[in-house]
Amino acid sequence: MKSAGLLSTVTGLAAAWIAFTLLVWLYGESPRELASQLFDGTWGSAYGAGQVIFKATPLLFTGIAVDLALRAGLFNIGAEGQLAVASLAAATLGAHLGAGVPAIVAVPLVVLVAAVAGATWAGVPAVLRARFGAHEVISTIMMNRIADSCVALAFANGFAIKGTVRTPDIVSAARLPKLERAVHAFHGSAASVAIYIALGVALLVGAWFRRARLGRELVLVGKNPRACAAERIPVPRRLAQALLLSGAIAGLACLATVLGYKGYYESGLGAGAGFGGLAVALLGRGHPVGLLLAALLFGTLQQGGLAINGRVPMEVMDVLQGVVIAAVALADARVRASLARMVGKARPA
Amino acid sequence: MPTLRLEKLTKSYGDVRAVREASLAFEPGKIHAVVGENGAGKSTLLQMDAGIVVPDAGEVYVDDARLAPHTAAEAIARGVGMVQQHFALIGVFTALENVMLGAEPMTSFGRLDDARARSKIGEVAREIGAELPLDALVETLGVGDRQRLEIARALYRDARVLVLDEPTAVLTPAEAQALYATLRRLAEAGRAIVVVTHKLDEVRDHADVVTVVRRGEIVVTRPLKRGDDDEVRALSAAIMGREAPEPIARRATEAGDVALRVDGVRLGRALRSVSLCVRAGEIVGIAGVDGNGQRELVRVLAGIEEADAGSVEGGPVSVVHEDRRDEGLVLDATVADNLVLGELDRFARFGVLDGDAFDREVAARLASAGIVPPDPTLPARSLSGGNQQKVVMARAIARTRLAARVLVVAHPTRGVDLGASRALHEQLLDAASRGIAVLVVSADLHELRALCDRILVMARGAIVADMPPTATDRDLGAAMLGAPAA
Repeated sequence: MKSAGLLSTVTGLAAAWIAFTLLVWLYGESPRELASQLFDGTWGSAYGAGQVIFKATPLLFTGIAVDLALRAGLFNIGAEGQLAVASLAAATLGAHLGAGVPAIVAVPLVVLVAAVAGATWAGVPAVLRARFGAHEVISTIMMNRIADSCVALAFANGFAIKGTVRTPDIVSAARLPKLERAVHAFHGSAASVAIYIALGVALLVGAWFRRARLGRELVLVGKNPRACAAERIPVPRRLAQALLLSGAIAGLACLATVLGYKGYYESGLGAGAGFGGLAVALLGRGHPVGLLLAALLFGTLQQGGLAINGRVPMEVMDVLQGVVIAAVALADARVRASLARMVGKARPA
Repeated sequence: MPTLRLEKLTKSYGDVRAVREASLAFEPGKIHAVVGENGAGKSTLLQMDAGIVVPDAGEVYVDDARLAPHTAAEAIARGVGMVQQHFALIGVFTALENVMLGAEPMTSFGRLDDARARSKIGEVAREIGAELPLDALVETLGVGDRQRLEIARALYRDARVLVLDEPTAVLTPAEAQALYATLRRLAEAGRAIVVVTHKLDEVRDHADVVTVVRRGEIVVTRPLKRGDDDEVRALSAAIMGREAPEPIARRATEAGDVALRVDGVRLGRALRSVSLCVRAGEIVGIAGVDGNGQRELVRVLAGIEEADAGSVEGGPVSVVHEDRRDEGLVLDATVADNLVLGELDRFARFGVLDGDAFDREVAARLASAGIVPPDPTLPARSLSGGNQQKVVMARAIARTRLAARVLVVAHPTRGVDLGASRALHEQLLDAASRGIAVLVVSADLHELRALCDRILVMARGAIVADMPPTATDRDLGAAMLGAPAA
């Protein structure tokens, strides 16, 4: 199992390298030069590394979220919408806290509201799944569209500063400190202590799957819901719980964007992190370290796109992300099995 | 000249050597039985014959030409057909579509040539000597029909070697007789028939040649004296490597108060009106042809399905479901997780598991069930069928030591070898002697006679007869076919 996972990761990286070489060559540039430029702009400097961490933080949150659902056999495609709604909720609360509220109260409160908002948004698919068996892929995708519209609606109706598509600034007590305050070399980069919180959540969720009754049962439900139902495990409720938790963690990704970076929420902030989480979860394979490495990889690609933007379009890196995802997905038995379940109603008699 | 020949086949899974240097030949015109305990390597051996499993070393020859590449497709193309224990049919397709699937005849315009398929299947059906309900959906067919369909599918692809894995495990005695008549006819037409089975009576009555496999090695291959009772004893000694144990004897126990009372239970069209009661310490059997409502009754007793009408009193009920791979086990989870499936709340404090208590309970169940290998960290999928059944039984039995007062077991030894069957039966008897009310659903009349105080017969969703364990096959069989209760 372990070696199969390693194999598909290596396959993904090899495919990405080949695609990179090919694309850069098509633009008439030297792959070697661009690779070194890409390195300099990311891990080659403290600022670059900080930026990679900054980009990787929301991906780690959403990656953990998608992975949690995936282990219960669910595809949470809705992290995108869950994050948008959580961002709006956290930013709005953060802007309206009294000036006298200390950080020790303000930060946990805003984090809690972000989680609850994400869970609420995932709650609709969760209830639809538990009550009516509606497939979560369809309902979470639809909730993404609804989230877009709701955020726009909220901005138009008093949530945004008049005439803009952004919320007011949150109070300074609710902001998360940047890493540059602790490590001066990160100066200028947007990385914040949100990465520590993301790591903590990753470790906590990993332990939760091993040691907590609920986590353990979720994995069993993901592997064979029929046997679990036969042994009186409440399968629909467990699936709903998995989606709620997944939504809550996806919502936490706004710690990196709203609380740790901008200090407010604006239209499009954090967009793409929800879908990026799918890729991180596929590559991370249910292990905290795997998820972290995957988030860093995609963070590197995003930041790298900016670094080479002068010579080739940064969209080249988006292509690479797609190549990695496709290659890993094809090599991943878990995904193949899930796809087969989704497509194949023709079960053996 | 042998049609199928194996040369020194060897296959290991991790550290476990499933088959070691097995050489064997299957000849046309013969019914060749392969017997051995669970995990002895029979299935692996035959899956290598059919190209499904690739051997680490050794070769398979069809008509003296090597099977290369070693794939199922190549094996089928060369005339080796396999009928698996778990049928590989598509329920929502018709019988005809299932037989054609993957080998569809086409008209010159690229359309399916139904007529040609039909006429070819007609020939096959004549050879089998049975009508095939070609236009019925497979999910509406009984087990016997499905099996004939699997055989027809292999013959439709011109199989000259037909390998059947536990073909009679799900059949009634009458259906099993009919199957062997069919196989004999196919053998006489020049095909090589290979049957893997646990039922030595069948081997004695129907096989020409027998091969005994023990711990991955072939112990002996020899012709059989058909119908000779000494053969059964000799074979079971060869299978186990020692003398066969005495058959279990039901100890007479004092039955207590009624512990399970089912009254007029109806469920859709599956259960018309089921009433029965089981007393504490009593073992009651339910005999019947598969698909007459046994599965639904078990599901109602387990509380998974709500009856449309009627009542179930008594419990709590501990259940062993019919399909261990689908409903009994999470195959990709560890043996440990499976042994306590659904009981995690017992080991949790504030939602966190007490690892020590969990491990202690798992170790106790693992040891008392005699599961091989005794490693709780292995995935359940890696165990042999018999050991998987031990896991499911161990879980159900353990619950009768906790709260459960009633034990409902569906097909406790289906596809399980002699040694393991005996251990499982002893556990059921032991549960009864502790005052548990036991209800056993089985298609194996030997098993029911050996275990039960009473045998109820189920037909078309109702209990149609209540007989003593001394009832003859004939009487039970007549009741199973739905003759009105006397």
